[in-house]
Amino acid sequence: MTLFDLVIRSMRKNIKHYYLYFFALIFSVVLYFVFATLQYDSAVVERAGQSMKFSSAFKVAGGLLIFIAGIFIVYANAIFLKRRSREIGLYQLIGLNKGAVARLLIIENSLLSAGALLIGIGIGILVSRVFLLLLMKLVDYEGFIALSFSTAAILQTVVVFVAIILLTTIQMIYTVYRNTLLSLFNADKKGENPKKPKTFVSAVLALLGIGLIVFGYWLSANMMNTMLFFNMIAVLVSTILGTYLIFRVTISWMFYQIRSRKQGHLGLKNSLSIGSLMHRMKGNANSLTIITVLSAMTLAMLAGSYSLYYSTEKESRYSMPHDFMFESDEGLAAQFGEELIENGIDFTSEKIELLSVWGTFEKDVFPEWDGPMDGTYGFSIVSDQQLEKAGFQVEAPKKGKAVMHDMNYAMSMNNMKLPFDVNVTSGESDRQFRITELGSGNVVNFVSVGFQLVVNDVYFEELKEQLPLESEGNMVLDVYAVNLLDRDQLEAASKIFSQSKYIDNAEGENYAYSTDYYSMYENGILTNGLLIFIAGFLGLVFLISTGSILYFKQMTEAEQEKQNYATLRQLGFTVKDIMRGIIRKQMFVFGLPLAIGLLHSVFAIKAASFLFMSDITIPTTIAMGLYALIYIVFAFLTVGYYRKTVKAAL
Amino acid sequence: MNKTHTSQQTVLHAQNVRKSFGTRGNVQEVLKGIDLRVNEGEFVGIMGPSGAGKTTLLNVLATIDRATDGAILIGGDDISKMKDAGLSAFRRDKLGFIFQDYNLLDTLTAKENILLPISLGKVKKKEAEARFNDIATILGITDIAHKYPHEISGGQKQRTSAARALINEPSMVFADEPTGALDSKSASSLLGTMADVNKKRGVTIMMVTHDAVASSYASRVVFLKDGQIYSELYRGDKTRQAFFQDILKVQGVLGGDSVDTI
Ligand SMILES: Nc1ncnc2c1ncn2[C@@H]1O[C@H](COP(=O)(O)OP(=O)(O)OP(=O)(O)O)[C@@H](O)[C@H]1O
Ligand SMILES: [Mg+2]
Repeated sequence: MTLFDLVIRSMRKNIKHYYLYFFALIFSVVLYFVFATLQYDSAVVERAGQSMKFSSAFKVAGGLLIFIAGIFIVYANAIFLKRRSREIGLYQLIGLNKGAVARLLIIENSLLSAGALLIGIGIGILVSRVFLLLLMKLVDYEGFIALSFSTAAILQTVVVFVAIILLTTIQMIYTVYRNTLLSLFNADKKGENPKKPKTFVSAVLALLGIGLIVFGYWLSANMMNTMLFFNMIAVLVSTILGTYLIFRVTISWMFYQIRSRKQGHLGLKNSLSIGSLMHRMKGNANSLTIITVLSAMTLAMLAGSYSLYYSTEKESRYSMPHDFMFESDEGLAAQFGEELIENGIDFTSEKIELLSVWGTFEKDVFPEWDGPMDGTYGFSIVSDQQLEKAGFQVEAPKKGKAVMHDMNYAMSMNNMKLPFDVNVTSGESDRQFRITELGSGNVVNFVSVGFQLVVNDVYFEELKEQLPLESEGNMVLDVYAVNLLDRDQLEAASKIFSQSKYIDNAEGENYAYSTDYYSMYENGILTNGLLIFIAGFLGLVFLISTGSILYFKQMTEAEQEKQNYATLRQLGFTVKDIMRGIIRKQMFVFGLPLAIGLLHSVFAIKAASFLFMSDITIPTTIAMGLYALIYIVFAFLTVGYYRKTVKAAL
Repeated sequence: MNKTHTSQQTVLHAQNVRKSFGTRGNVQEVLKGIDLRVNEGEFVGIMGPSGAGKTTLLNVLATIDRATDGAILIGGDDISKMKDAGLSAFRRDKLGFIFQDYNLLDTLTAKENILLPISLGKVKKKEAEARFNDIATILGITDIAHKYPHEISGGQKQRTSAARALINEPSMVFADEPTGALDSKSASSLLGTMADVNKKRGVTIMMVTHDAVASSYASRVVFLKDGQIYSELYRGDKTRQAFFQDILKVQGVLGGDSVDTI
């Protein structure tokens, strides 16, 4: 019998073991190939032509993808090799030398990998269109989408996977040469028996784990100060370390306490959950920590980017409350209006007067992280009635008081104590405004108008009279707000606006109001759509990888404990009784990483919520819910596998 | 044939039990109509050459496997008519098992293993603790209660296994070659305790064994050959030594694997 016959024979016999590894390989190939295809697709390239962001984001994500796929395959291979270690030992026992065994494994691995690569690329070709359509939908692309068959993508996929497969080959050779026969035969029996923990040290470490996480959470909510970068690192380190301690010490310690309190009266459910978990806690601590941290990162990434995408419209509106805006030049505004009429677009055009003045803030009203805000700042005073005419609803307080709006200090404004005073210093007359309310976003489109103070119209007229608006850089600035009546015509209007005569001055430079609401929104959708696509893609890969790793590990455990289930059934426990204990165990194995991961990500999102002016509870909940849902599928698959094992045990 | 135990109550009654393995074209009848009556408090040894069907018989009687034909009554219940769930409950409540390779759960301590059969909470903790202390003392394993299976010797494992078989106060204990993996000293110590438990607590025991020494601890030995009962020996008032000699003689005629007479 040649070595090749042996390979074929062993592959046929081992199909049950192989399919796990095979699946991992195919899965990674498919996802990588889809990604590579998209990268080279003409529609994507066309849409991306507008920005460098597109291609560099794809590059970074592609790198990450290779990294995850590499780790996932190597991990799956390690589990696979462990399950087969007895067989590897057996080959050596019947007289094959290590070189021959290694060769046997390499031939197997090459056949398997070539198959997976072929099948993976095949499936990839089929599904990449779905992903392309999804991406184009996300970034609002309306052109014709024809998926071209990409040789470059195939080549790139092959190169990447040949490299990864070389890595697994090295891993196999290492397994054959490093291990003694004895360790090969006992590899699947390995387990530890929980030793009595050194009570004091364990208790301290167990509490330290919880303490580190709580500290990380606390710091994440309070890291907005001059040491922001250092704080972020500290949050990461303390939560990751805390998570590790939770799995490595805290849980073991708690289990030990529960168990010793039971004094042997553990009960069936606990025997199958706590007993089995403690038996492998050491080995599981690492993978559970990694899975928890990965889940937290993925969740935060998904929730964050989905929130960005979800609130693109709102956030654009906060910056640009009016569809179009012209500064000073009434003629230009009128010309634009005429052109809109020619195109059958209905609109309103309103003049808004800004009293542009200089002023100072009351001491220490801004949070610490903004530094001392004791300089002189530009303010624009706006009438509530003029805004209302232009279609922007705002209720201004009585005389002497104002509502302050601003975009750039949105985050700080959440932390300012009301009311406070603003001093408009103009010549001899100092005038105080009491700020009684803070508004979200701008009231006129952004750009160099400074802090916006909305006041009651009567008061506004009075101020216009009294303030020395002709001196010291103070002035009345007229802006013209053009708002469409029909949202659906925004795109057409935006196209008209983008002509050079509206956005460039005589020297060919952009005017202050060189962009409009719709362009900004479109740009946001492009960026955030790409972001959510890449985050979703990577998230899916993370999720399926972590889910599969847990599933594979549990599969191995189920097989290791098969004899236990047989014994229990002989002792008279039904499959149902046993499954109850196993479900409790799976609730721990899958539930705890998910729960801690979710908690971590909630705090991460909270810390990052300063990026948003809108409420992101809904998109965050949707993203996290979806993640949890897919994740739970793996728990069900695992329980199903256990049920099959327990049923077959007797 | 049945001299001494007629007056006592029957715990187990097997009537014409048959068991076949294999599919249609290739059926192998392993048990060919076994009739067996076991009385309360008996210690029955089952012997016979390899492949005679001892393990199969034990499994069928112990409800782990189903008979192809025949009726099995344990304490009046006809187990061949019970559903799987009913059988499980029956095993848990009424039967005890000792296996050749112990079958202890390696994830649990000796005590946790022993308490398993009563772990579904029908027995109160205090009562369970009392039973545990009682049995652990008889079997001499109180010291190893909190050790894991891999930390104790084979003999200790088997005594733990025996304790687990007794904790639910079964009406009958089944043992398949309980001494198969033990050295002679541990074996005789375990057998001594089993005989003791049998006598003092009146637990009925059925034990499959290859070993004539082991079966000499029984009060009756049933010999199996080719799936049928070949003969039976009662110890009566004989010494264990004399009974051992009798067993050897039958085994010799039977052509067992330890003594070859021809
Ligand atoms: N599950 C099964 N399927 C098919 N045949 C079986 C099965 N179990 C046992 N047999 C066959 O039944 C016969 C009796 O087996 P059994 O295990 O009862 O013998 P035994 O008397 O216990 O032998 P030993 O002393 O070697 O343990 C053997 O020929 C065996 O091959
Ligand atoms: Mg047998």
